Amino acid sequence: MTDTALEAAALGKRFRRRWALRDCTFRLPAGRVCAVVGPNGAGKSTLLALAAGLLAPEDGTVTVLGTDPASARARVGYVAQDKPLYPQLTVAETLRTGADLNPGRWDAAAAERIAAGGDLDPKARVRSLSGGQRTRVALALALAKRPELLLLDEPMADLDPLARHELMGVLMVQAAQHGTTIVMSSHVVAELEGSCDHLLLIGDGRVRLAGEIDDLLAAHTRVSGPAQGSLGDHTVVESRTTGRQLTALIRPTGPLSDDWRASMPTLEELVLAHLRNPDAPALTPTQTPSPAESGSGAASGSASGSESESEETRA
Amino acid sequence: MTAPTVAAPRLLPWLLRVHRPALYVWTGLLVLLGGTLLWLWGPLTDAAAEAWRQYNACATGGVCRYDQDAILRYKDVYLYASFAVLAVPFLVAAWAGGALTGRELEHGTAQLAWSQGISPARWLTAKLAVPAALVGAGTGLLVLLHHLTWSAGRSRVDNTKSWFSTETFYANGPLVVALALAGLAAGALAGLLLRRSLAALGAAAVAVAALWTALRFALPHLWPTATGVSGLDGGPGYPGLLVDQGLVTATGAHIDNPGCGSTATAECRELFDRLDAVGYYTDYHPASHYWPLQLTATGAVLAAAALMTLIAFRLLRRRTADKGAAR
Amino acid sequence: MVAYRIDRRSGVATYVQIVQQTKQALRLGLLMPGDKLPTAREVVEATAINPNTVLKAYRELEREGLVEARRGLGTFVRKSLGTAPADSPLRTELDAWAARAREAGLDRDDVAALFTAVLEKHFQGDPS
Repeated sequence: MTDTALEAAALGKRFRRRWALRDCTFRLPAGRVCAVVGPNGAGKSTLLALAAGLLAPEDGTVTVLGTDPASARARVGYVAQDKPLYPQLTVAETLRTGADLNPGRWDAAAAERIAAGGDLDPKARVRSLSGGQRTRVALALALAKRPELLLLDEPMADLDPLARHELMGVLMVQAAQHGTTIVMSSHVVAELEGSCDHLLLIGDGRVRLAGEIDDLLAAHTRVSGPAQGSLGDHTVVESRTTGRQLTALIRPTGPLSDDWRASMPTLEELVLAHLRNPDAPALTPTQTPSPAESGSGAASGSASGSESESEETRA
Repeated sequence: MTAPTVAAPRLLPWLLRVHRPALYVWTGLLVLLGGTLLWLWGPLTDAAAEAWRQYNACATGGVCRYDQDAILRYKDVYLYASFAVLAVPFLVAAWAGGALTGRELEHGTAQLAWSQGISPARWLTAKLAVPAALVGAGTGLLVLLHHLTWSAGRSRVDNTKSWFSTETFYANGPLVVALALAGLAAGALAGLLLRRSLAALGAAAVAVAALWTALRFALPHLWPTATGVSGLDGGPGYPGLLVDQGLVTATGAHIDNPGCGSTATAECRELFDRLDAVGYYTDYHPASHYWPLQLTATGAVLAAAALMTLIAFRLLRRRTADKGAAR
Repeated sequence: MVAYRIDRRSGVATYVQIVQQTKQALRLGLLMPGDKLPTAREVVEATAINPNTVLKAYRELEREGLVEARRGLGTFVRKSLGTAPADSPLRTELDAWAARAREAGLDRDDVAALFTAVLEKHFQGDPS
């Protein structure tokens, strides 16, 4: 098995004249839980549909589980944003359809377990289900085919907080037990924080940030200091002057001078700063300072990332 | 990770489950229309034949008592049944555009199927093959019943439609089966193109109407006509499907009929003399051309259906980068 | 057995929260040597956090010698943490300091701010 779950190279997709996704390059190692974040219309859904083999790219390539999306179809689970299901079927019939279409892979017990979690009547018609219940059935379909890669487009959008927490738990168990790579999109960062260890930030059809969340956070520093202070050679993502004080989010290129008080940004701050400043340079795998880190396994890679982070905050 | 076991997805149960309402409606339609045709074939034909026998027996003066209702009922039911058979291609097209592909793409259930392990090409193959088999068999059965009913009436019921009257010609042969299959292909293509069920429903029905219109213009020319010549005095006469008609001159040339009328009037006789006309010619299809015409037209419609199917697969392949459809 | 409570708004990294809460349980005697920590599956099912985060926290605890992973069995507590007893001299000093701060007119928030600042100065960068 390949250690790369999803890889895009100069991937682009155009609808009529508008580029929905452009020059998209990133690599997602297997076993990660990746958040695809960006404002509405940024190209998140397009990226997931390309990876699921539902759309053909205009430019570049997307590699899924070491092969092309069409060949990987059986090993990939996908749930679209509006959770399409056959409205005229009952829940039980819907799950039976999954079993019919995925012979040899279908885990009927898992499907029923996930669907049953929501007090779902198996005889209920899909058209009578609430948004949350639909999501549950759609997730049951996607998970029960035992995918190696799970692509979820805004999976939590119409769930109440309780169901959201519970279903996220179901997904995390899937990742813990089967090592399933999970890619899920959202325009709400907070929804995914804590559950994801990898980030793909898309803005206006382009990749703005890509990599392990810990590495990305470590690569950035939030600084504050006197307004007349100079940030030198550091890459400035965003800076703001309030009275005599200047606060900025930077990518330090070396030690910071003593004038600055430094702290680690939160994921949300990092994302918002990049979205507010579309001209800030992107940080993607090819530009990551030490790509070797991400290759050494999830925990150890992140651990070394957090160490360098504390060094930087101390500097 | 377990290696993916290669087992073919069970497409038939899935397809029948998803399109169960359509299956019920189709079965219901077949039972209803088939039953009507059987009723027409048996009791109604017998009653009409008996009424005609009574009528013909008392043709010579006096009060004639015959079952006029039976004759009218036979005529009405026959006509309705023919139109119902002819409506099948439109119904199939509308269903295929609306429910088979249009609605699935509109609501994303097509994408659901594609992410449940069946490739888009396989999805479309199943979606076309199973309905094609059911539509082909069902329409074939209706056509067969219609033809048998018509044949049964031909020698016994005097007002049986001629073989070349429009509704009888189409409803009596495989042409309507081909049109139904073309409707299926047109609907599937419209659904893929428009990705909206209502729009695809309409577009598919319009496509079938257009195909039919083209066919009506082309049909007489799909097989060489026979030509009959009759004298000026008798007027033009022909036993079949009229294609062209005019005057024959003494040199044998065919010229337009000025539409003057009978040679009984002096003006017309003068005109015909001036044109050097010696008789009428009629290009027509005799009854023996029925099968050649039916089969050539059926072939042409099936070719159109195949073309639309090919375009549908190409479109799907281009949109989804499906390797399976490329082959 | 401990149940972890993850506070996403605390600003403290999730794996650090698990490490801290485990240590807290060790200090309070809720976890004793030989006890089993919840499996990653159990933790993520309850908290919906990333499994790698749990593994990272457990690895950190293992690195500090507090727990050990036994293959196929789970992660077990190796030793308990020495607590600062209620009557320790350190506590007496802090108690006296707080009393003096109050006498000096500082209110609760002032004291907390002072304490946090000093804590930051001396322990900055320490994982927990």
